[in-house]
Amino acid sequence: MTKRFRFLPIATFLGFAFLYIPIIVLVVFSFNKSKLVTVWGGFSTHWYGELLQDPQILGAAWISLRIAFISASLALVLGTLAAFVLTRLGRFWFKPMLSGMTAAPLVMPEVITGLSLLLLFVAMESMFGWPAGRGFTTIVIAHTTFCLAYVAVVVQSRLSDIDESIEEAARDLGAKPVRVFFDITLPTIAPALMSGWLLSFTLSLDDLVIASFVSGPGASTLPMVIFSKVRLGVSPEINALASLMIGVVALGVGLAAWQLLKSPRTKPVE
Amino acid sequence: MSAQTQLAADEKPWRRPGEKPFIRIKKLTKKFGDFIAVDDVSLDVFRSELFCLLGGSGSGKSTLLRMLAGFETPTSGTIEIDGQDMAGIPSHERPTNMMFQSYALFPHMSVEQNIAYGLKRDGVAKSEIADQVADMLGLVQMSNFGKRKPDQLSGGQRQRVALARSLIKRPKLLLLDEPLGALDKKLREETQFELIKIQESLGITFMVVTHDQEEAMTLATRIGVMNYGEIVQVGEPPEIYEYPNTRFVADFIGSVNMFEGRVKEDDKDFVRIESQEAGTEIYVGHGVSCSPDQKLWFAIRPEKLILNRKRPDGDSNILKGMVEDVAYMGNLSVFRIKLDSGKVVKATQSNRVRRDDEAISWDEEVYLTWDETAGVVLQS
Repeated sequence: MTKRFRFLPIATFLGFAFLYIPIIVLVVFSFNKSKLVTVWGGFSTHWYGELLQDPQILGAAWISLRIAFISASLALVLGTLAAFVLTRLGRFWFKPMLSGMTAAPLVMPEVITGLSLLLLFVAMESMFGWPAGRGFTTIVIAHTTFCLAYVAVVVQSRLSDIDESIEEAARDLGAKPVRVFFDITLPTIAPALMSGWLLSFTLSLDDLVIASFVSGPGASTLPMVIFSKVRLGVSPEINALASLMIGVVALGVGLAAWQLLKSPRTKPVE
Repeated sequence: MSAQTQLAADEKPWRRPGEKPFIRIKKLTKKFGDFIAVDDVSLDVFRSELFCLLGGSGSGKSTLLRMLAGFETPTSGTIEIDGQDMAGIPSHERPTNMMFQSYALFPHMSVEQNIAYGLKRDGVAKSEIADQVADMLGLVQMSNFGKRKPDQLSGGQRQRVALARSLIKRPKLLLLDEPLGALDKKLREETQFELIKIQESLGITFMVVTHDQEEAMTLATRIGVMNYGEIVQVGEPPEIYEYPNTRFVADFIGSVNMFEGRVKEDDKDFVRIESQEAGTEIYVGHGVSCSPDQKLWFAIRPEKLILNRKRPDGDSNILKGMVEDVAYMGNLSVFRIKLDSGKVVKATQSNRVRRDDEAISWDEEVYLTWDETAGVVLQS
């Protein structure tokens, strides 16, 4: 008993330390006055100011945010439709396969996803001229594809949790099917939709590999700019930028989790 | 006890020949693949009835109810409500409302919003809705809970909200799927009588699905017993209990002792049955349409058996056995008596005095007898 009592807190502490010390170091050094990344020269917010005057970084951030917004929204619609098919269409023989295929992009190596999408885009362009060249549009399509899987999984688990008789009850009380969807189904799955969107948004914002494959001239996302800058040497400015990104992503994931937690239960209590 | 006692015999519409039924179900069948859930059911229900569909799980009673609500499409057959054919009418346009077993309250709406939903969908004016919701809350005694969310209510309170929500549109037919199934025994008994009171005050026709025979007996004007998708018997509660038409019904409703036998003598006014299982000749004091030597069953309820230490007079309707077990239940005692044939018979005696030192006890030899009209002869 006492052995376990000591072991668990220590293991927990070590685990979290392993995960978060690098990030803490990075955030701390983003406030470094010195130009040398590894030498502490006193506290300063100088690099954050520098960041706001760098047009390249600001431009990339703007592109990244727009891509994240559009692809998260598209993924939300498509992923929700997929989730409806998988929970409401009854049983059919290839449903397990379909379910697996929807979730497959979650575990697919990014390099492969990126490469296959690139090949597709090139083939499409030579066949019917769209999308013309690689850039903003192709990144949006690529991000929508893999974010869709996350939305489908989150919404599907929520949908299968809903007691379907609440929809029947609404129909029974005089609501047409469309009305039932907006009055009953949508409010009950809204937290899942919200969290699916936020998750997609942060995933798109984070992605480097897939974007690198399908991007073209003039459409460098923030992670791509950071990566190219780091290759020339890590600067405190990048530390500052990374700290900001960690903040945004943590906020997104936190909100997503909170949305899922606060959703009311619909299953009858036994 | 319930609604049927308050109606004089000639006021019971189902007893009047030629009376027009309010709900007319004709040759209704529902198949799920190869499985026949409801099998060629025909049934008439009359206005303001509280009809109970009684059956075990998988007997098709819920499927029948869901076809009335419009959630399932019949494979064949017709449903008519108040003269209107229901074929092709979607559930949101039917003059029926349903109270769900799980109550199916909308979790994101308050009690008031839940109850108001039906009227809101019909485009009733806001002030009118508020008045009617207040009335409904009063009817189900939930006036103080209007602002609460469903997850802040107890099971009994949710049941009331679900009832109010399904009643507010004054449907021609209210369908109730195991309405009291989720309540504990005490609450269930109280709610049964409230349900009857509400049904009588509103005059709405109720169709209740239940697996609980006591509940059906208490609530119903008439009961339809279902088994394997078919309606086996329809009748008023005493009719179902005292005159079951098959072994299934006799066994499903209440408890019963069943003896297999053969017709020995068949007369216009009586039947004599030879039964090895009973070890006695069974004399039935009324005519039964049967042929000599036909195999049939004699069913008798435990409370109709009279226990004796001494052998009663006569030579028929006398069982001899040993008391194997006595269960004291408070209001009555249940005796399990093993006959010489090995068959165990159940007999109940009500405990009229508080303490009886002379009471029949374990391992005593006893005789059981019954009135010549106390039992039922069953052919199938």
